[in-house]
Amino acid sequence: MAQSEHVNYSLEKLIGFVGDDPEAIKNMVNLFLNTTPSLLNAIIASFQEGSPEILAKSAHTLKPTLDVFGIRDTYDLIRNIEQKAKRSELDEAMDKQIKQLTHTLELVFQELKLDFNLP
Amino acid sequence: MAHMDAFKIFIVEDDVFYGEMLRHYLALNPDNEVHLFKTGEECLKNLYRAPAMISLDYSLPDMSGLDVMRQIKKEHTDIPVVIVSGQEDISTAVALLREGAYDYFVKDDDVKERLWNVLKKIRENVQLRSEISYLKEEIGRKYEFRNVIKGNSPSIKQIFGLIEKSIKTNISVSITGETGTGKELVAKAIHYNSKRAKKPFVAINVSAVPRDLIESEMFGHEKGAFTGAVTRKIGKFEQASGGTIFLDEIGEMDMNMQAKLLRVIQERELTRVGGNELINIDVRLIVATNRNLADEVQKGNFREDLYYRLLGLPIELPPLRYRGNDIILLAKYFVDEFCKENKMKKLSITESAQQKLMGYHFPGNVRELRAIIELAAVLTDTDQIDESHISFNSADAAGNLLMEESSLAEYTRKIISYYLQKYNNNVLLVAKKLEIGKSTIYRMIKEKQI
Repeated sequence: MAQSEHVNYSLEKLIGFVGDDPEAIKNMVNLFLNTTPSLLNAIIASFQEGSPEILAKSAHTLKPTLDVFGIRDTYDLIRNIEQKAKRSELDEAMDKQIKQLTHTLELVFQELKLDFNLP
Repeated sequence: MAHMDAFKIFIVEDDVFYGEMLRHYLALNPDNEVHLFKTGEECLKNLYRAPAMISLDYSLPDMSGLDVMRQIKKEHTDIPVVIVSGQEDISTAVALLREGAYDYFVKDDDVKERLWNVLKKIRENVQLRSEISYLKEEIGRKYEFRNVIKGNSPSIKQIFGLIEKSIKTNISVSITGETGTGKELVAKAIHYNSKRAKKPFVAINVSAVPRDLIESEMFGHEKGAFTGAVTRKIGKFEQASGGTIFLDEIGEMDMNMQAKLLRVIQERELTRVGGNELINIDVRLIVATNRNLADEVQKGNFREDLYYRLLGLPIELPPLRYRGNDIILLAKYFVDEFCKENKMKKLSITESAQQKLMGYHFPGNVRELRAIIELAAVLTDTDQIDESHISFNSADAAGNLLMEESSLAEYTRKIISYYLQKYNNNVLLVAKKLEIGKSTIYRMIKEKQI
């Protein structure tokens, strides 16, 4: 699968970590698809419940994973969300950022499932 | 060779994806054995598995990375803990490094290379530590005292008994014996067979250090303590911390230094020259001398209080000439060792050569025997060392006198020749020393007997 074919993500960093082993890459993609939605849900729920600590923690955990998948624009987004949550600024701007993050990640999930033939 | 076990790495990471990715990455090297834990508690419970390195996330669900690291360092100060965290806060990194973290990485683009490099460095350190530990064990084996001190004579068996007693305790040991009897070997055998074996053995020959430098050599000095003290120097006592210090030729120590040594031994603390800080010391003391220290005390050359402090367990090494058949046993051992070291075929020692050795008085003791045997092994052109290859070059000509059976006239001639040589052919002085008439000497010279 050529690098340029991916629209919403990049496997360059992941390959750097796990090597150019299709099976290992597929396993890591599967793990990403299994673990990331729950973190994203935790971000959404903690924002809605007004829990900045959990929000900051979840954003902090998700941050490096998004970086590894080279998901365009989301690294700065998640970093902003974490910083604002640490300052307890759970405002409208953050709501927009979380929605933007959710939208981008849904596109990434769909593309990954398609590319790797995963359910 | 030192054996290298699998390099055990713990990853403590609550982010399932990132943790698994690091695990996969580090396991790419088949020498690594990687274990992944999601909580600090899990990591702490598994420390008994002795990881060579821990990669620790700063933000964990049950406790902070700092708390986990503190717990690790309580019991396992030597395990390198590398913090791999999403925290970009510099003050957090500085605080962790101050608390003993080996390194601190942010989970960014460089983490892969940095982790690989730090692992390489830690592996090299582990390899070095393993080699040092192996070499220390080797030294221990080398100095297993029955490997070091050879002999079956009753006098040497008695020494074995005393060494065994000294190994079991921390008692100071004072070793006496003529030059070449193996005082330092006995000191090393005691150290490397004792509980202090893995700590340093530091030897200092008191007579070999200039008088005005001995204090600095033993106790160290601070920068600027005296002209030429351009940096701080750690003394032998501090170097030997936890181990053994061997003070050879202790009888040569001057009275002023004796007083300082006594204070250090009594107080178990020292101050470096030019310093004020009191430094606790934990060393075992072994001293050696070829002088009779009790006599030196009588003569006022050695402090009585220090003498009793140092005496501890006295071990008096017998001169080789009193060890009977040990001479042959040692000679055979030395020739075998020499042939092995120099890849020569095995040599035997003929009966006549053995008799010649047994008749000699060895003023240089075992050291001299070794030199004689090694020279003989070089001189022979066959697979035997015979008496013609054994040559005694001892400066102690008087001691050699009785080695060969001679007539009384021959002994007389040898004795007078020896004395004339010793006293620059001063016939009057020699006649006086030997209590004989000067005419006897003149007559022998005239008759060309001498």
